[in-house]
Amino acid sequence: MSILYVLIPLALLLLGVAVWAFFWAVGSGQFDDLDTPPVRIIMDDDKKPDDGDPL
Amino acid sequence: MPLRSNNPAGQDTDTCFHCALPVPTGCDLKVDFEGERRPVCCPGCKAVAELIRDSGMSRYYALRDTPDPGVGRPAEETVEWRVFDSDDMLRAFTEKNAEALEATIYVGGMYCGACSWLIETTLTKLPGVDTAEVSPVTHRLRVRWRLGQAKFSEILGTLASLGYQPQPLSPESTTRPELIEQRTALKRLLVASLGMMQVMMFAVGLYAGDFQGIDQEMQRFLRLVSFVVTTPVVFYAARPFFAAAWRGVVARKPGMDLPVSIAVGSAYAASVYATFTNGAAVWFDSVTMFVFFLTLGRFLEMRARHRSIDRSAALSSLLPNTATRLVGEEASIVPVSQLLAGDRMLIRPGEAIPADGTIESGDTTVDEALLTGEAAPQRKSPGDLVAAGSVNLDGLIRVCVLRTGSDTTLGTISRLSERARYTRPAFVTLADHVASYIVIALLAVATVVATFWYFTAPERAFVVTLSVLVVTCPCALALATPAAFAAAGSRLSQLRLLVTNGNAIEALSRATTVMFDKTGTLTRGLPRITSVMVLNASMTEHDCRRIAAALETASAHPLARAFAMNVTLPEVTSQHVEVGQGVSGSIEGRHWRLGAAAFVGGGAAGTDSQSSAATNVFLGVDGEVVAWFNIEDELRPNVVQTLDSLRGMGLRIALLSGDNRTAVEHLAARLGITEFDFECTPQRKLEIIEAAQRDGERVLMVGDGINDAPVLAGADTSIAPAQGALLAQTTADIIMLGNSLEPLVTAVRMSGKTMRIVRQNLAWAIVYNALALPLAAAGLVPPWLAAIGMSASSLIVVLNALRLSRFN
Repeated sequence: MSILYVLIPLALLLLGVAVWAFFWAVGSGQFDDLDTPPVRIIMDDDKKPDDGDPL
Repeated sequence: MPLRSNNPAGQDTDTCFHCALPVPTGCDLKVDFEGERRPVCCPGCKAVAELIRDSGMSRYYALRDTPDPGVGRPAEETVEWRVFDSDDMLRAFTEKNAEALEATIYVGGMYCGACSWLIETTLTKLPGVDTAEVSPVTHRLRVRWRLGQAKFSEILGTLASLGYQPQPLSPESTTRPELIEQRTALKRLLVASLGMMQVMMFAVGLYAGDFQGIDQEMQRFLRLVSFVVTTPVVFYAARPFFAAAWRGVVARKPGMDLPVSIAVGSAYAASVYATFTNGAAVWFDSVTMFVFFLTLGRFLEMRARHRSIDRSAALSSLLPNTATRLVGEEASIVPVSQLLAGDRMLIRPGEAIPADGTIESGDTTVDEALLTGEAAPQRKSPGDLVAAGSVNLDGLIRVCVLRTGSDTTLGTISRLSERARYTRPAFVTLADHVASYIVIALLAVATVVATFWYFTAPERAFVVTLSVLVVTCPCALALATPAAFAAAGSRLSQLRLLVTNGNAIEALSRATTVMFDKTGTLTRGLPRITSVMVLNASMTEHDCRRIAAALETASAHPLARAFAMNVTLPEVTSQHVEVGQGVSGSIEGRHWRLGAAAFVGGGAAGTDSQSSAATNVFLGVDGEVVAWFNIEDELRPNVVQTLDSLRGMGLRIALLSGDNRTAVEHLAARLGITEFDFECTPQRKLEIIEAAQRDGERVLMVGDGINDAPVLAGADTSIAPAQGALLAQTTADIIMLGNSLEPLVTAVRMSGKTMRIVRQNLAWAIVYNALALPLAAAGLVPPWLAAIGMSASSLIVVLNALRLSRFN
């Protein structure tokens, strides 16, 4: 079980990295708009005006 | 192939393909769209639909949500966008960034994600435009274009040609405190959730150890790492709770944050003490879980609040962007932010007034409905005051500026509403009380139990205390209220009701009286011809309407909109607008007049205009009255059913309006409302509400319009239709999207259901604890059974709350 004394601090270190990365992402504005990205993915340009209705 | 149509079947024939307004009778405008001829309501919508089709954006119509009728309808007046290319304008509305310019534009008339797609794709196709990003929530467009390769006016003009109403925002009004708030809240939520997950993992180890045996050293180690992870959760994620609790103590108005803080703080302190002294148990898991659920609840509530558009944009979007400043007799167009007291400005008919001032020359009528609720236009002559935000209807006036920006009447009303909101007594919910105090009580009980067993059977003291703490984990109690409110809030937003205040649902469930505003709430604020009386046998109703429509093309008066028709109109020569009286003009050699009885041809026989609330407009030719039109403000859809349903729920209905007596009496009679008051100022409305509150009534105020903002804040709870003045949205507790009043009934029913579920949850949590606590304290519950009991009770509470998300 003594491996836990290594693995748990390692896990905490990774946790710290994850929190730092998230704080950086929030700070750089990546989470400012939580509403547009989910709709944006389903929309793209009609390639040609008359290529029929893809839906 | 069939379009994935958002128009319900059968409605295709009579609603506009683009804006969903009903197509006026006699209008046969059509758009060819994917092989079908679709009806549209006006040339503007036809142009927009054709533009969208021809630029290859047809999919917009398949992807968009069903529009509220009229939201996407293009503005009738054309705006001169070229003035925005001047250096002054660019300095005022854009930020220069290397060789590119950036501007933030408020896009009026957009309502869903497909609109933002349409705008982004169309704008980025313009040469010279680098990026365009629209948030469908805040309706803000951030656009960046290369200097010299694109023009600001081109971008604004493109938006207008798509049927939106662009409104450039000056850079300082775009620094948004709520963005900073959201960022911080996200960080706190992440720290709380990751912390909770980690501590739970360590807790599993500790509980398993209690059950199966564990090295003393490993136990200390797991407690220590739990301590390391919990510390930022308490000192960073839970900080707003401590701060709010402290403010409450200082102000001698302790809120629900105080017991929460004591629970979190004392459980944390006791755990830390136990960690370093090898005490009986730690409850870091309870601490992190409690903080996580509270933070999650606050986060969801904040998101709902931010959906209502922020105050600065609300204020500036009611004011025009530009003003015509006069220096001597020379007119120049300047951004409103450059107007100063003492400047002279020129205001043309149909323009909104950009600042408070006194009229120097010119007679006119102004529409002050936004400020006073008075639907009828007000006459103004030299020396009279005009207020920012009102609309100049029919005369050219020169105005000397008195006050600008936040010093104006409009700005004052907005401050007043903020103060009313601030002084509203903090509503401490029963649920929070119970949950928070029980947390403290449990900690006290655990201490007593530990002490008792320590003196009677010290070898079992540890296990029994642990069971007590686990089995009575406050999770179920802490979850009971926030889980139900979160589920109710998200279901309400699906039902097109946005909750902006955490107390709204409970306050709504207790409402006993519903007070309605008239203009824009019960009615749509759109005048409509309800009946036509033709007095001359040689003419048909259709003839009269056509002639009236042709005459009214010259007028910017709100009533003129009622006459608009989409048929070929006869040509009018020597058209003339008589301020406050009516319009006149010659058609086929005869002189026609349309307007007040006296203006048209003296005493119109058999029509007493005082007997009816509706406005009567007369049509006359060569001094003889040939017809009169009865014009009424159209009711919102389903008003009658909504009021019936509310009465059916035992609610008192009252009507408060700033409008005149006849109009209010007429509407009250028509809707069967027996309690009403007319010509109310905002102060008067507030007094009526306060009087009702003193009589023990709980008042739900439903209103829009700026003058209602303080009233909305003063009522126990308030609901505003989203199409009203934007400012009202920011003080209302719940915002109703869409045109119908029916969501109001849903909101009231939903609030009752939510409170029932909260009470069930609390009752369950209390009964469970009341049964489990004595058993655990007596030493009859082993820790593993306690852990199962705790999880099951939390699960039951959450599942019960989730029933709300299927509420109809």
